[in-house]
Amino acid sequence: MTCDEAKILLADYWSQSLGEAQELGFEAQLATCNECRAETERLGALWKNLALLPIEEPGPNLRGRFYEALGAYRQGLESRPRRNLRDALAAFWPKQPAWQMAVSFALLVAGVGVGYGIHPDRPAREQPANSELAQLRGEVSNMRQMVALSLLQQQSASERLRGVSWAYRVEPSDTEVLSALLTAVNQDPNVNVRLAAVDALHAFGSSPVTRNAIIRAIPRQTTPLVQIALLDLLVDLKEKEAAPELRKLSTDEAVNGGVRQHARWALEKLQ
Amino acid sequence: MAQVGAGEVSKLAVLFERHHRPLFRYFVSMNRNRELAEDLVQDVFFRMLRYRSSYDPRQSFTAWMYQIARNANVDQAQKRRGEVVGIEEFNERRPEPVSTAPGPEEAAARGQDLGLLKRALERLPADKREILVLSRFQDMKYEDIAAVLGCEVGAVKVRVYRAIRALEQIYFTLAGERTA
Repeated sequence: MTCDEAKILLADYWSQSLGEAQELGFEAQLATCNECRAETERLGALWKNLALLPIEEPGPNLRGRFYEALGAYRQGLESRPRRNLRDALAAFWPKQPAWQMAVSFALLVAGVGVGYGIHPDRPAREQPANSELAQLRGEVSNMRQMVALSLLQQQSASERLRGVSWAYRVEPSDTEVLSALLTAVNQDPNVNVRLAAVDALHAFGSSPVTRNAIIRAIPRQTTPLVQIALLDLLVDLKEKEAAPELRKLSTDEAVNGGVRQHARWALEKLQ
Repeated sequence: MAQVGAGEVSKLAVLFERHHRPLFRYFVSMNRNRELAEDLVQDVFFRMLRYRSSYDPRQSFTAWMYQIARNANVDQAQKRRGEVVGIEEFNERRPEPVSTAPGPEEAAARGQDLGLLKRALERLPADKREILVLSRFQDMKYEDIAAVLGCEVGAVKVRVYRAIRALEQIYFTLAGERTA
């Protein structure tokens, strides 16, 4: 068993739903890999503590409100005269031709009004220029970019993870940070940094550069966890251009079975 | 639910008694607002009535109910877009967790840790928070979660791993801020 395979089994391990063979394989992996053992213990403690969080209880009024509403619903059902939709519409439609024309005209005016409301073609109000504020914003933005870029180049994986979290604070148009994130996704030796970088790419998803880079990154990955995260991202971004790559991935025997299955699912979602 | 679907509307009360608490916890975890969570629980049960004919008894009731709950949550989020409740405001509304550990020192330490964990969970992105809430708080089977989220079971397990990893990062960041 590899470290990646062990990570995927963690959820089953915690919920005690591993099969006997899988459990033996998983335990053997923990016995031989210090990193897997430490991660299982750390994350397992959090998993356990989640169950200790206090349980939120609803207020006493919820039950009363529900039964009151249910009673009213039943009463309404029992007293409702049985008529179909056509009868209901006919009841509202006037019998006199003059009134029919007036109602038609009113509906037309209302339709135009609603259409205008949905797509208002009003000129945007110009904001008062404030050069000092703009300058300050620019400086803060540069500072955030600098911190993110410098942390992403550190030796320590935890520092690089901090760099990824700083990437959330820069503008989505920041191409330098985007480029650093894509480099992290494709080349970072630590799987957790790669996964965090995939999550951070979400904010940059409106750019076609990002979308193309995500599509190109999938076959370059060797870790199923990261490939699945990239597939999820493509589905979230509704990137239909990814279909040929997904088709190729879903039929490639060299690719992990779970990833192939997930690629088929992503393909269905995007079509 | 099959009986409700067949017209026995009063049987909805049985479902309410069985499921309103877990649903309430789901909505509180997702929105950090108790009043809104109560409204949404009510909404889910009336959506069940409205869409009762769409329920297929061969499918898991829990999965169907949480699909409705997710839709209700998305609809209210669209209505309230821009009206975000701050974490600080939320914390004012709710009491801090009470520990069940025996000794007072241990109780205080555990209470602090759980308080930190609760804050970390609140800061987790909604999709990751949701998968932890469904798998850990609601004790849902991964098959049911897959049906709710519209993906395969394998993807659910990967997402659970990613969510708990992300939770760990936030937890340690908050712990670092506390000791700094």
